[in-house]
Amino acid sequence: KAADEDGEDEIDDTDDVDPTAERAAWKLRELKRIKRERDALEAVEKEREEIERRRNMDEKERLKEDLQYVAEQREKAKEERGKMG
Amino acid sequence: MSHLVDAKSMLDTRGLYEGPTVHGVNPLLLIEKIIRERIFESLYWKEHCFGLNAATLLDRAVQLTYIGGQFANQRPTPFLCLAFKLLQLQPPKEIVLFYLSQTEFKYLRALGAFYARLTFHHVEVYKTLEPYLSDYRKLKVRGQAGWRIECMDEFIDDLLTKDRVCDIALPRIPSRAQLEDLEELEPREDVLGSEGEDTETEGEGDD
Repeated sequence: KAADEDGEDEIDDTDDVDPTAERAAWKLRELKRIKRERDALEAVEKEREEIERRRNMDEKERLKEDLQYVAEQREKAKEERGKMG
Repeated sequence: MSHLVDAKSMLDTRGLYEGPTVHGVNPLLLIEKIIRERIFESLYWKEHCFGLNAATLLDRAVQLTYIGGQFANQRPTPFLCLAFKLLQLQPPKEIVLFYLSQTEFKYLRALGAFYARLTFHHVEVYKTLEPYLSDYRKLKVRGQAGWRIECMDEFIDDLLTKDRVCDIALPRIPSRAQLEDLEELEPREDVLGSEGEDTETEGEGDD
């Protein structure tokens, strides 16, 4: 059985060794979780807005925007040519 | 079915399973076949899990010193064996909630949380597990890569947001945001409350 417990003693799961630090670490994680949720919500909202915006444009405007986007991408690719990734 | 004493009795149904189901299937099938086989092969299962019931399983669960899926040569952890045993026993919901609500044994709570995530209805999963996001006790985790420390809240968060925890594919549940949109769940209460704001102002003060 001894071999089974290999390395277990190297880590310590004792709680309340340093309650303030543990609580602070938890608070940080909790804030990160809240932020993650908020960011996900924002991303969804943004996409919805974008779709709405595109829908409200007429055919010509949409085409114009697409062409502009393609041109921008091409420009970017040109700049990056010959550079290391 | 009762002529088979060993763990496979609930699986040997030749497609005619009539026992209790979870998410519409035989609960044992929630653990994929390969891991099931490894559990049956493991020493812990043979030595310590034979003939357990919801009460005697407690004796084993309070002795747990780590969680995790598989380690070393893909051997299942005792944690996984006990979770599988629970799937076999199908304890009533109150018992699972008791496992979760007791405060003394953190590994028992982790086991209860894992089982609840596997078997509860998705709205129930959020309602039962979310309160424990504010439990920040440390848990030892043993994985293929070795040992590490994970806090209870991280474990619960993984259960709620990830597809695989402890090497087990969890049943799919809708995300919290989706359930809120469907009005099946209330928005989550802010556990940090005013404290959250406090930290922000503290942070500004430090700068």
